[in-house]
Amino acid sequence: MTLPPVVRLVVRNFASNLDPLTVIIRFGQPAITIIVLGTVFTNLIPSTATNGQSYTAFLVPGMVAFQMITGGVVSGNLFWLDRRWAMVEQIFSGPFLRAEYLLGLVLTTLLFALVGVGVMVLVGIPLIGLPALTPLGLGVVLLTVGLGGIFFAGLLIALGTQLRSANAYFTIQSFLQLFVIFLSTVYYPASSAPPALAAIFYANPLTYAANTIRDAFANTLGFGDVQALAVLAGLAALAFGAAIWGFRRMELGPIQ
Amino acid sequence: MAERELVLATHDLGYSYAPGRYAIRHLDLTLRRGEVLGLLGRNGAGKTTTVRLLTTLLPPTEGSATVLGQDLRRAGRALRGRLGVVLQSESLDFVTVERNLTLYAFLWGVPREVAKSRAEEMIELFELDAARRRKPWALSGGERRRFQVARELMHDMEILFLDEPTVGLDAIARRRILGYLKERARGGLSIVFTTHILHEADTLCEKIAVLHQGRLIALDTAESLKKRHGGAREISLEFADPISAAVRTEFRLALGDRPAILLAPVEGASVPDRGLVLRAEHAEELLPWISAWALAHRLELTRVSIEEATLEGAFLGMIGTDGANASEASPSPGGEGPLRPGGGAL
Repeated sequence: MTLPPVVRLVVRNFASNLDPLTVIIRFGQPAITIIVLGTVFTNLIPSTATNGQSYTAFLVPGMVAFQMITGGVVSGNLFWLDRRWAMVEQIFSGPFLRAEYLLGLVLTTLLFALVGVGVMVLVGIPLIGLPALTPLGLGVVLLTVGLGGIFFAGLLIALGTQLRSANAYFTIQSFLQLFVIFLSTVYYPASSAPPALAAIFYANPLTYAANTIRDAFANTLGFGDVQALAVLAGLAALAFGAAIWGFRRMELGPIQ
Repeated sequence: MAERELVLATHDLGYSYAPGRYAIRHLDLTLRRGEVLGLLGRNGAGKTTTVRLLTTLLPPTEGSATVLGQDLRRAGRALRGRLGVVLQSESLDFVTVERNLTLYAFLWGVPREVAKSRAEEMIELFELDAARRRKPWALSGGERRRFQVARELMHDMEILFLDEPTVGLDAIARRRILGYLKERARGGLSIVFTTHILHEADTLCEKIAVLHQGRLIALDTAESLKKRHGGAREISLEFADPISAAVRTEFRLALGDRPAILLAPVEGASVPDRGLVLRAEHAEELLPWISAWALAHRLELTRVSIEEATLEGAFLGMIGTDGANASEASPSPGGEGPLRPGGGAL
């Protein structure tokens, strides 16, 4: 039995991305962050700063939210490398549609993010115990990470369709990643930040994702989280719309 | 013999990348099952654009084409699933050569066991055994090209498009690949092949299309192109008895306005005094006249040889050494300017 084209593309995306270094960088780094930063800063940061919970308990949902970037970056980079190494053109010379290729990237994003969520939770449990996740809460976590992943993947694919230089792409991607992570509530609460910085935090979709996931972990989901999800869904649609627009206009040939 | 099934036909096909600027125009090609069509042309002549048009990677902006019975403008996945394409640009996945082969087969829906045995076959055929565990970027240029071709042959297809598949390959690898392709063509695979190595096209292709500045300027068999556009070639004549200077002069005058020149005797040649060497366009056509002239002068011809026509000569004859010729079906001498009728030195 032949698998559907999208599934074959997703398997190929995984197969070409599962070298040990990629796995360590994508999943090992945030896992180490939880273990090292969580342990070290728990003794330094008073629980009053993190809504009465230990810093590790604050950090774990943040690193779960971070997985939306992991998924997005994997797909964005994969697309860039496919374009750079003419695999986009080679794949389209075969029995695949452009829409299937893009859908393959979306599913790759979601699967990578999902695996990342699993790894973060597994690393976090020995340190903070089982989170108070309800089935609804779990659904919200996955939806949040999924939408966030699509947002970042869309953003990077759109960028990849426009740039012709690997240096430019990877520089912008790194800066984007750095600013998005550090100007969010992944590592510290907005309430502890100066007002100007806190305002920037709230212009960042990762903040909404991290806050919503924290609420899901604490089983305190509310209307604010529904709004956050709606904003995230809108941003994901916008970013992926830009990716589709760029993709349709993109020349298929390789770039040097 | 029954004519083979037509698998590709274009009519007035063209692609313009900007208003009034054409990469290819008025393309009329046909390809039959099991036939090998060579696309020749200088850089920028439109060969790659033609391949990309015929494989649906580019949408035609004018004309029409049918590939495997499907309208090219409407064809999509179903058609591409029956084609194989080795593009000019290198494409690769970041896994080992062996994994690249099986992964590509997987993408094409080739069953795992078939993929495994085919990968072994391709690794052996394309001499990639030493490279099987290496990642493609660690391969030499020639290995990478061999890998590209091998990878495409991992799946079944009815038409194979090869855009300069032998660039950077050594003579042995080239020979091996061409031999394999010839065998596949005999088995019914139709092949469209672009190359700058004209000897390759001559060896492999049943039919040659010459593109120049985005236009098709010739479409014929290699033999016919050589005959029509092969330009001037040397004819060596050897007589039973020595040829006097007077006879040479007489011969030169007799050539009259024929497009041929008599060359000076080659120094060190074994029979300079018994031989005549001339350079002529349409060399074969001159032979009856030469024979009649010798008979009339009671000279016994012991040997006549004509320099073999090459596709390169024909190609240069068609487009000129500066690429400025390209007048359709108007044979011109091979790269040396027209021969002066009856000219030349003794």
